[in-house]
Amino acid sequence: MFVLPVLAAIVLMLILPTLLALALSVTDYSVYALADWSNLRFVGVDNFVELFSTPLFWRALGNTAVFAILGVPMAIGASLGAALLLNSASVHWKPLWRVLLFAPYVTSVVATAVVWRFLLNTRFGLLNYALSLVGIAPVDWLGNPRLSIPAILLFVTWKVFGYNMVVFTAALSAVPQDLEEAARLDGAGRWTRFCHVTLPAIGPTVLLAAVMSVAGFLQIFTEPYVMTLGGPAQSTTTVLYFMFDQGLKWWNLGQAGAVAFVLFLLILALTFVQARMGRRHEWL
Amino acid sequence: MIAGAGVATASWATGACTRRADPDALQFWAMGYEGDYSPHLATAFTRSTGTRVETQSLSWTEAHEKLLTAFAGESLPDVFMLPAHWVGEFAMIGALARVGDATLVDMLPGAVDLTRAGGSGYAVPWVIGTQVQYYRRDLIEQAGYPEPPADWAGWRQMGLALKRRRPDAFTILLYLNWPEALLTFAAQLGAGLLRERNTLGDFASPEFREALRFYKSLFDDGLAPRALATQIQDPVGAFAQGYFAIYPDGPSLLLDMRRRAAEIPPDNWRTAVMPTPHGPAPAPGVCQTLVVAATSRRPREAWALVRHMTSVPSGLRFQRLIGDLPARASAWRDPQLANPRLKAFADQLAHLAPTPALVEFEQIRMEVQLIAERVVRGLVDVNTATTEMNKRVDLILAKRRALVQAGRIA
Repeated sequence: MFVLPVLAAIVLMLILPTLLALALSVTDYSVYALADWSNLRFVGVDNFVELFSTPLFWRALGNTAVFAILGVPMAIGASLGAALLLNSASVHWKPLWRVLLFAPYVTSVVATAVVWRFLLNTRFGLLNYALSLVGIAPVDWLGNPRLSIPAILLFVTWKVFGYNMVVFTAALSAVPQDLEEAARLDGAGRWTRFCHVTLPAIGPTVLLAAVMSVAGFLQIFTEPYVMTLGGPAQSTTTVLYFMFDQGLKWWNLGQAGAVAFVLFLLILALTFVQARMGRRHEWL
Repeated sequence: MIAGAGVATASWATGACTRRADPDALQFWAMGYEGDYSPHLATAFTRSTGTRVETQSLSWTEAHEKLLTAFAGESLPDVFMLPAHWVGEFAMIGALARVGDATLVDMLPGAVDLTRAGGSGYAVPWVIGTQVQYYRRDLIEQAGYPEPPADWAGWRQMGLALKRRRPDAFTILLYLNWPEALLTFAAQLGAGLLRERNTLGDFASPEFREALRFYKSLFDDGLAPRALATQIQDPVGAFAQGYFAIYPDGPSLLLDMRRRAAEIPPDNWRTAVMPTPHGPAPAPGVCQTLVVAATSRRPREAWALVRHMTSVPSGLRFQRLIGDLPARASAWRDPQLANPRLKAFADQLAHLAPTPALVEFEQIRMEVQLIAERVVRGLVDVNTATTEMNKRVDLILAKRRALVQAGRIA
């Protein structure tokens, strides 16, 4: 009785759109159908077959995988590192540092992406200037297809690490101090203490952060869109960018529905795997 | 219907979020500089008729999807600007009101043909333009050329001479994600891009392959930088610094050159027609048109606004403000348009290449350019690339092919 409103909201906003997307993906909905409903045809799995034989789709999947494989460790590593640094007793003015390090998270993505485009500019960007001070030749960050994903990941890591840093700070404060003390007195080094005392204690939080990060990185869209428009040579076209292009730019909503469904299954599978791993470590 | 409801929700959340500040005003959408400077023309309209006009300027990277979403969500403005090659698409989906033939008189030859869809007029040509070379007279004089040669062979020699003098600079700026340059070369060679009543790609033709090879050679010889539009944040500044000697662009660059005259003295730059393989050749033109939405609640005022915007005084005023050239033929009799800087545009506008009036043409242009970019970066060779272009375009045109073969569309 009391769950009815929430259930209604979930059905209307989550389940119904998913079913509609699935319905769209088995038709050839396009601009022609927008013009005249009788142009719409039911095509079954044709959209999926066509999708799997489009080289750009596989390239987009590969790019998304690279984004996730490189980005998740970078983001979580940066957040965890910052949280550990802030946790140290020798750091003063902790609230100030927390605000400064969290600040990038609340900035507008588009505005900061534009600024980072200037920073990463090959000829007069600050990053290449800094590299030139240590004798490294100018790097074509956003123009080299092999370097474009790391360049965007630099920006993304800077932008998002603040959120998980705050989460980890909260988790680190729950690590039993007496265990730490005992380990230190027993002669355990920093790294051993981290692996055997800290990490097991914050395990569930790391799992949560990992699950959210993976889902987030698999759906990365704004940063490639603003910084490189999916280029150079489509090296930063992600699955969501491909879906946006097909669906909203060219109005091939049938194809886009197919992409959305494939992405949904992919994220579901990965989350399932992560949950199994978490359960094994008793983090879930 | 359900999908439409879903899309309507999406468009309400995104497109129509700005509630009308003034419900009595006519809504007018335009892109680029035309959108930014339209309020100047609209004030004269308000003074003479008393109808207020609310202008919204869209950016080109979002215009196509924003207009389609607005149509699906039934929130199109009363009057909006459309490039000529989108008119067919929007006419087919029923977004546009028909134009009487009486309104389409006194237009430049070729302008009206660019806007026809299914034999009827749906758009009024407003401004017309074409790409010409804006060149740094002082830089190419240093290499011994008073002006860029008119044929490809001579032009390439000039480019190589410039490269020898200044190896770190480039001759011409050709963005790798804009299709204009490649399609201009193709049109100059007479390569029709599609065949069989525009249902199949024709990119493996010898003319298109030659155009693609010439395009690729410009990058391989170091005459053009391998850069996307997102990588050159300030092209006019780069032009002023001499990063490249030639900047192909349309008439609206005249506004930037006027604004930044302190960085590039007006004496240092001129305009010239794009180089051709041999002798005068057609090139694609870009015609921006004004259309009235079929769902407009005030068609009389909307048409009055269109007539005002496309009138001769408005056209001349727009040309003074942003450099755009009017499509109205009688405007060209005014001495303002006899300016020597506009001669290159006038010459090229006399030979316009036709553009297929297809729904999918914008997508075809973009996809062809994506494959051309891979050719330029050496990821695929020319012959394989043109075969891939044909495959890709055939797939894009599959629905159109089915409808043409079923006799449902022309």
